[in-house]
Amino acid sequence: MKTLTGTRFGDIEYDPEQTLKFPEGLVGFPHLHHFIVMPQTKPGPLFWIQSVEDAALAFVLTDPCGFFLDYAVTPDAGERSKLGIGDEDDCLLLAVVTVPPDRKITLNLAAPILFAPKTNRALQVILEKTSWQTRTPLPAA
Amino acid sequence: MLVLTRKSEEGFLIGDDIRVTVLEVKGGAVRLGIEAPADKKIYRQEVFDRICRENQEAAQWNPTDLDALSESLKGVEKK
Repeated sequence: MKTLTGTRFGDIEYDPEQTLKFPEGLVGFPHLHHFIVMPQTKPGPLFWIQSVEDAALAFVLTDPCGFFLDYAVTPDAGERSKLGIGDEDDCLLLAVVTVPPDRKITLNLAAPILFAPKTNRALQVILEKTSWQTRTPLPAA
Repeated sequence: MLVLTRKSEEGFLIGDDIRVTVLEVKGGAVRLGIEAPADKKIYRQEVFDRICRENQEAAQWNPTDLDALSESLKGVEKK
């Protein structure tokens, strides 16, 4: 086990073998390759990941398909190869959540994260031709 | 920055696997054709910049907000 100090969650003990790996980093953060998936303190659709490389950086993620039933993004062959998975392996979708000061959260559906549970690798992809927005508000309850 | 002057139907190479061709110059806009390997992602600059900004914004949040948010979102999820 290792310890990461100085995060907004305090000091975190983590297993370096169990981190979520972003081989290409996140868009605009190409140096962030390893994240700790933080245990949820309360049940709910949001969870958060803490960068190992930069203790100041953490992101909130959610499964967008729970809110937008018609949201679908399929990895192409190149993306599957970066994720280290074959055609038959599962690839899940995650969205980066923005929490503005007014707490009216939005999901970035224009740049979802492809997540391969088998390899614990993830890739943020930019959808060039999409009508989904960078700041998609949650649908009304 | 390397600056090149190209006419319509002229092009240039980046390395040996990316070929850019000027297809048309019309009304202040340039149409470019780009041939590159499938694993080379090509983004319009403003789209890429917008995602960068959004990721930076998304990294600014306060953990104390989130427990309350998680709770309030339970009703919103469709499944």
